[in-house]
Amino acid sequence: MPTDNIYEVFARKSHDQELKHVGSVNATDDDLAKAYAWTVYDEETWVEMCVVPRTAVIPVTGHGRIPVWGN
Amino acid sequence: MSTIATAEHETTASLDEATKTALHRLLRAIADNKLLLGYHYGEWTFGTPVLEAAVANCSLAQSELGHLRLLDGILKKHFGDDPDALLADRAPGAFANVSYLDHDLPGWTGCVAMTAVVDFAITSLLDALHDSAFRPVRQSIDKMLDEERYHVHHGRGWLRTWAARGDEERAALALQLGAALAHVAEWFGPTGEADDQALVAAGIKTRTNEDILQAVQAEMSSLAADVGLSLPEAEAADFGAWTPANRRLGSGGPDGEILSHLRGDRNDLFKLG
Repeated sequence: MPTDNIYEVFARKSHDQELKHVGSVNATDDDLAKAYAWTVYDEETWVEMCVVPRTAVIPVTGHGRIPVWGN
Repeated sequence: MSTIATAEHETTASLDEATKTALHRLLRAIADNKLLLGYHYGEWTFGTPVLEAAVANCSLAQSELGHLRLLDGILKKHFGDDPDALLADRAPGAFANVSYLDHDLPGWTGCVAMTAVVDFAITSLLDALHDSAFRPVRQSIDKMLDEERYHVHHGRGWLRTWAARGDEERAALALQLGAALAHVAEWFGPTGEADDQALVAAGIKTRTNEDILQAVQAEMSSLAADVGLSLPEAEAADFGAWTPANRRLGSGGPDGEILSHLRGDRNDLFKLG
């Protein structure tokens, strides 16, 4: 069985609103991630929804540590 | 490429009798598929390999039954059908759904084959109605195609996922995909079928059933090849007993038990008075 990947789900309700993070889904590929995102987070009428593999997300914060002096 | 201008039809009044009858049969057949797809997706909201697939199938069931309501509206307004009577009063053999949907699906593999092949084939047909000269149909198609996008993603995703699960699943999947394709080919009917020719000539459909079927077969072959599956060779069908009224090679129809569920027969037990 292929491994599940985590996909973060972003969506907006109108074109003048910013994309917001609405949740995440586990899926084995991009097709299933799209299907799951659309069917799980269907409480709103979204004008745009997209999914991003969590592995593609580059952390900016450092989990509570300051990125200087090597710590 | 030259294009032939076709008349636009707001109602059936401007259609000749043969085209009107052909359109009536086609819409009933699509509606029957929506009904049965909705039923099977509803059945498969339990027992899925992962919870997300159950949630997805629940949503897919709702959209199929929503599409049925849209089609029922057209059938009622433009063809005088009574949607309740179509469900309650017809004999099983009068239902014009793809015969793969007649019985309970053979496990999750069958559900994947239904989504990837049968649902996709009906959606491909809807796509051929996108620019229909019959405006009431054209106005309903965008909503259906928008929602069917996620059915296609779900079918493709699970085809790949199930093919990667193990040898047993791969063998069963190849078998069910082949069976579903054969049933879909039966439903689309013989080459040059008269109803289909009339609908294409009137601009109500933009592609023949033969074209649509070939595209579906090519898509399935490509998907199967991507995951190293070889599908069974399609056998030539004998369309001698086929009619556009029920789109079947012989007798048959949805199981009595399935129709009983759809008709809500057992709900009668709880009626008061």
